[in-house]
Amino acid sequence: MTEEYIMMQDIIQEHKERIQNIKKYYPYFKLADNSLLQWKEGKYACLDMGYITMAVLRFFIDENNLKDKDVTYEEYESFIHTILVRDFLLMISEEEEKELCAYLFDKLLNEGKPFSFDYFDPKDHQKKSIRMKLIESRIVDSILFYRITSDAIEFYLDTKEIKEESSISVEQLLLSKLIDTQNFKGGIEVVKRINREVTKLKLRRNEVLAVLSADIFEGKKVYEAYVNDITKWFDEEQRLFKKNSELIEKALEKAELDKKGKENARFFAMMDEIYTLELEIKKAMYKHSELLSLCTSLQLQVDEIVKKSKLSTLRNSFDFFHAMNKMMENDNVEAMESLILPLFQLNIKKQFSLAQTENLISMKGEDQEETEKVSAGEEVAYVYEDELEDQRISNNFDLIVGILLEKLMVEESFSLGQFNEELTEKFGEKVLKNADYYTFLVHMCQKDLYSVKEIREKPDTFFEEIIHEILQKENEYDGISFRLIRKGEETIKITEMLEISDIQFEKVKE
Amino acid sequence: MEERNLDKAIDILTRLLNGEEVGRNSANVSLYEEYSTNAQVYDLVNRMLSRMNVKLYEYNYSLYITAGDNNQVFGFTNADLRKELGLKVNRELYLCYFIIYQIITCFYTDSSGYNFNEYVKIEDIMEAVDYSLKHIIDNLEILTNNETEENSFKTLALMWSDLPAATEESIRAVKNSKAGYIKLVLNFMISQKLMAQSEERYYLKDRARALIENYFEESKGRLYEIIQGKEKEDATY
Repeated sequence: MTEEYIMMQDIIQEHKERIQNIKKYYPYFKLADNSLLQWKEGKYACLDMGYITMAVLRFFIDENNLKDKDVTYEEYESFIHTILVRDFLLMISEEEEKELCAYLFDKLLNEGKPFSFDYFDPKDHQKKSIRMKLIESRIVDSILFYRITSDAIEFYLDTKEIKEESSISVEQLLLSKLIDTQNFKGGIEVVKRINREVTKLKLRRNEVLAVLSADIFEGKKVYEAYVNDITKWFDEEQRLFKKNSELIEKALEKAELDKKGKENARFFAMMDEIYTLELEIKKAMYKHSELLSLCTSLQLQVDEIVKKSKLSTLRNSFDFFHAMNKMMENDNVEAMESLILPLFQLNIKKQFSLAQTENLISMKGEDQEETEKVSAGEEVAYVYEDELEDQRISNNFDLIVGILLEKLMVEESFSLGQFNEELTEKFGEKVLKNADYYTFLVHMCQKDLYSVKEIREKPDTFFEEIIHEILQKENEYDGISFRLIRKGEETIKITEMLEISDIQFEKVKE
Repeated sequence: MEERNLDKAIDILTRLLNGEEVGRNSANVSLYEEYSTNAQVYDLVNRMLSRMNVKLYEYNYSLYITAGDNNQVFGFTNADLRKELGLKVNRELYLCYFIIYQIITCFYTDSSGYNFNEYVKIEDIMEAVDYSLKHIIDNLEILTNNETEENSFKTLALMWSDLPAATEESIRAVKNSKAGYIKLVLNFMISQKLMAQSEERYYLKDRARALIENYFEESKGRLYEIIQGKEKEDATY
């Protein structure tokens, strides 16, 4: 029962940890697996992507960690060139090679995305995804640089180095190897690089101070991590320095023993190298002690900054870092709207929506015909079109007859020509082209004599009806009688096309 | 009330609404003098703006206005900003907000005063964003696939970590790389008169300083409530 329990524990509880360890191998197999078979119809199938991956990683370790510099794309390109020519005996044009290099680089960077794969976490009963990058990029002074990731270093060393030596310091590992093989010159270089590493740690102290002055909480964390790193560093270094010193001593003894068998000049050159190496190691030790004293002074400074910060927290102001931490804690992304939107200028540019603008331009009809809107109301009466016509004729007759009667009030006799002049004076030339005017004349000519008195009593014709209506409103025309004398031969020319016979209006005494 | 004062106040208001600068070192220096010396003009301008729900701040002898958040008439909506920045979805916009916030933190730790940082470069901003999202990106490795919501910091971190630092030697304002995103945001901030550019260096303008130091200081209580996740509508205005 207990054994089964332990087995289940191993399967479930430790699965995540195992996957985390496996993850570093994943990109290698992903890359090695047929990466070049499909490309360019298998033209470069002879290239081994696995080998190229390992070579590039080693190149990056050398540049990033041993020479302490970032890699540019051009440097990578020239490295790949040597591999292609030396190992694969590939002879292709410069352009093709550039294309191939770019393709290989894209593959190694996984087109900028991390290599990721899914796995099932039995502890949380969830499917999760795991991610890893081999090479990461960054920009310094507008130049793009590449660096190997710590995961990739771990992967590379894990394939051989780590199994042989339990230390994680690559530099020290290399130094041990170099002393073993009596390559003291290389050893001196390595110690110099260790010294540079120490100088870097000294510089990191300033960074810790910078973070502390910006954000006390974050700074405290960085400071603790820094102190931890240094303590660990001292611990490992001490052990490895001791080991290396022993190795140097052994090398010296060995050299003394071999002295007789070798030429003098070569022996002295080697001794010189060993002593220089010893000197560099002593320098490194001195630098380490310097770093230690800096650490102590940093401790005092941190105490001072924390004290100051405690005082300043009493002042109430909006803390941007604290606010950001809170937002992240609550996973409240929307809150950023309230923080950022007020910074912008007023939005006074109001625009039509695109859809509306398109409608304006294309004058598209409505998709559906709109129904006519009828306002509620009650019908009172209908007015037909002929009624409207009648109304118009009667209005015009009223006006014309009115003027005729007026004129008869003033003048004893006048011709149609004079009457026309009167009309055009009042209504303009257009009145003589009006059809109603001629209808009026036709109706008027039905009788020769008109008497207001008679019309008042009994209107006879349509014309008399009209006069009767006017008389209902006005009394001043009472007593008027007039006669029409037709002048057959005499005509009045109205337009080029139109001529009518003249009529003489004459007032008659009753 | 004198008619002349009303005229001046309306003049100041119109120029501010049009985005013109009113200050001692601007073309509208006489209007600024009027605002700062004539109590009635001062009072009128402030009253009119407060009715419009627009806030006015004086900084380094210049006047600056902001619509605040939630201003339906003068404020930007997410849709407006997406259009301005050429973005499709809200999570891209939130990433831009996040970048703007990081730019602020490059200059300010809190609203009480800036940290004497004169300018920032694109790489500084990239580092700041990397650093802020670092703990989320580290945990992405154990992120469940279906856990990414549309609007969450995890979504932002995932988007950010999937972007290459830069795709070309010269950085263009396009959203295919980290540097491209930052350039996009910086260009917009320049158009909004918040920043100024000199070669590869980006400086914070007085308008940004005025708003950061005054708006955040004045609205901190309400902003904290919003940050705590209380509904916007519930926040005390």
